[in-house]
Amino acid sequence: MDTLSYLGQGFGVALTPYNLVTALSGTLIGTVVGLLPGLGPINGVALLIPIAFALGLPPESALILLAAVYLGCEYGGRISSILLNIPGEASTVMTTLDGYPMARQGLAGVALSLSAWSSFIGAFIATCGMVLFAPLLAKWAIAFGPAEYFVLMVFAIVCLGGMAGDKPLKTFIAALIGLFLSSVGIDANSGVYRFTGDSVHLADGIQFVVLVLGLFSISEILLLLEKTHHGHQAVKATGRMLFNFKEAASVFAVNIRCGLLGFIMGVLPGAGATLASAVAYMTEKRMAGASGTFGKGDKRGLAAPETAIGASCCGALVPMLTLGVPGSGTTAVMIGALTLYNITPGPMLFEQQPDIVWGLIASLFVANIMLVILNIPMIRIFTRILAVPNWALVPVIAIITGIGVYAVHATTFDLFLMVGIGIMGYILRKLDFPLSPILLGFILGGLMEQNLRRALSISNGELGILWSSPISLSVWALTICMLCLPLLRIWRRRSQQRRALADV
Amino acid sequence: MILQRIFALLLLAVCAALAVMAWPYQAAFSYEPVGPRAYPLLMLGLMGLALLYLVVRPTPIARKDDEPELDRATLTKIGLCIALLLVFASTFESLGFILSSILIGVPMARLYGGRWLHSVVIVVAMSLFLYWLFDRVMDVPLPLGLLDVLEN
Repeated sequence: MDTLSYLGQGFGVALTPYNLVTALSGTLIGTVVGLLPGLGPINGVALLIPIAFALGLPPESALILLAAVYLGCEYGGRISSILLNIPGEASTVMTTLDGYPMARQGLAGVALSLSAWSSFIGAFIATCGMVLFAPLLAKWAIAFGPAEYFVLMVFAIVCLGGMAGDKPLKTFIAALIGLFLSSVGIDANSGVYRFTGDSVHLADGIQFVVLVLGLFSISEILLLLEKTHHGHQAVKATGRMLFNFKEAASVFAVNIRCGLLGFIMGVLPGAGATLASAVAYMTEKRMAGASGTFGKGDKRGLAAPETAIGASCCGALVPMLTLGVPGSGTTAVMIGALTLYNITPGPMLFEQQPDIVWGLIASLFVANIMLVILNIPMIRIFTRILAVPNWALVPVIAIITGIGVYAVHATTFDLFLMVGIGIMGYILRKLDFPLSPILLGFILGGLMEQNLRRALSISNGELGILWSSPISLSVWALTICMLCLPLLRIWRRRSQQRRALADV
Repeated sequence: MILQRIFALLLLAVCAALAVMAWPYQAAFSYEPVGPRAYPLLMLGLMGLALLYLVVRPTPIARKDDEPELDRATLTKIGLCIALLLVFASTFESLGFILSSILIGVPMARLYGGRWLHSVVIVVAMSLFLYWLFDRVMDVPLPLGLLDVLEN
C-alpha cells in the first residue's frame, strides 16, 4: 500500500505543468537525437546535463528531462531502422531485419506505429516491474556495507565482459581503462595529486561530460567521414499510418513475453537493450518455427525486439536507482548528472528523496504515453529530419559538442582534452573495442575505490572482510559464474568447430 | 592483427609509465591501511595482464559490410578533421564562439561533401542561432571574443 501512496505522490510531481513541459521537450529532443546519425542516447543525455544545470532546473525536473530524452532516443532510433534500413542506435539493429521489409511492402506507417506500440507495452511492463521490485531491492540494499558494495561493483564489471559475448577481453580492458581514468585528480582521502602531471586543470579529475562527449561525439564525427555511401532513399511512409486491432492482437503474446524478458535483461548490469533485443528476436524466431516469415517482414519479428528495447531501457533504471550501480552507458551518464546535483543514487535515495525517485518513475509512464501519441502524427516531420545531409549535420554536432564541453568549466583545456579523448576513442573503435564499458568503469571507479578503502579501514587492512558476509559470498559466486560464461562459450564454439571438421 | 599488437604494446608501455608515476604516491599522514597508490596500481596491473594476453593472441576484428577499408584519402580527411577540431579549441576564446565556429564549420562542411555556398550559409546561420540559443536563452555563457566590441 505504501508503494501506491508513494506512486501517487510521484504522479503529483510528474503531472505539475512545469514537469510535463520538461518531459514533453525531453521526448521531442530525444526522438530527434535518436533519429540523427552520430548522436545517440549517451551523448544526447550528456549534452543536456550542462544545459539542465545552466537553466537551473531542480534535480527532479533535470532527471525527468534526462529520462525522457533517453526513452525518446530509443523511439527515434527505430525510425531510421525501419525507413532507411540503417539502425539509428546499436540496439535497433534487430528492428531493421523485419521493419525494413515491412516498409518495402508499403506498410511503413503500420510498422512505425506498431513498433511504437510494442515499445510502449515493453516500457509499461518494465515500469510496473520497477514499481513492484525497486522498493524491495532498495530495502534489501540498505544492509549492504562497503565490502558488499565493492563486491557488487566487481560483479557489475565482470557482468559487462560476460554478457558482451564475442569479445570479453576487449570489454574487460575497456572497463579497466575507465576504472583507471577515474583515479586521475586529487585523492579525496589523502590529498595526493594523482596523474595530474602538475596541471591545474586535471586537479579535480577528468570531467565526466568531457569524457562522454569526447568518446562518443568526436569519435563518431571522425567515423562518419568514412561513410562513403550518400543519398540513402528513405521509404515513403504513405498509406495506412495506424495498425489495426487485429495486428495488435496478433503480437500481443509476443509483447508480454518480450517485455518480461527485456525487463530482466535490463536489470542485469551490462546486458542492456542491444542484447535484450537480440535475445528476444532469436527466441521468438525459434518459437514461431516454420510458421514465421522472419526476415521478410513478420510483425512478430518487429514487435519482439522493440518490446524488449522498451522494457530493458526502463529496467536499466532499477539498479541505478536502488543500488547506485549503473546497468548501461546511458544510466551511467545519468548517475554522473545526479552527482553533479550532489545526490548519491542508492538505497537511501528512496527514503531521503522520495520525490525524485517516484517523480521519475511516474514521469516514465507519462513520457511513454507522450511518445506513443507524438510518434504517430509526427512521423512525417521526423522522416523529413532524416533527409538532412551529413555535411550540414556534422559541423553543427561538432559545435554543439564544443558548447557542451565548454559549459562545464569554461576552460579551453577541456576542449583540447575532448579532442584527445575523441582520437583515442576513434582508435579504440577501429580496433573493435567497445566504448561504453569505459564510461561505466569511469563512473564505478570512484565508488569502487572509496568502498574498497572504507571496507579495508573497517577491518584494519584485513582482506578477509571482502568475503566474510553471506551477501558478499553469494555475489562472488555470481561473479565467478559470469567469468565462466565466456569461457564456456569459447569451449562450445571450439567443440562445434571440431565436430564440423570431423564431418568433413 | 599487427596493428592490434602494436596498439596493445603501446598501451602496455603507457601502463608501465603510469605505474612508475604512481609509485611515489604516498600520503603524508594516513589514518587508513590503504593509501592512494594501491587502487591505480591494481587497475594498471590487471590492464597490463589483459594487454599481454592480447599481444600474444590478438582477437580478430569484425568488420561491418558498410565499413570500407581505410585508404590514404580517408586518413587525410580524418587528419584534417582533427586539425580543425584543434583549431576550434585554440580559437574558441580568443576569436569568440561565433567567429571560431564559422572558421572551422565551413571547412568541415566542405570536408563532408557540402557545396561552398550551402556550407557558408548553413554554418553562419547555425553559429548565430546557437549563440543566441545557448548564451541568451539558456544562460550558458559563451565567449564573444573579437565581436566583443559590437556589444557596446
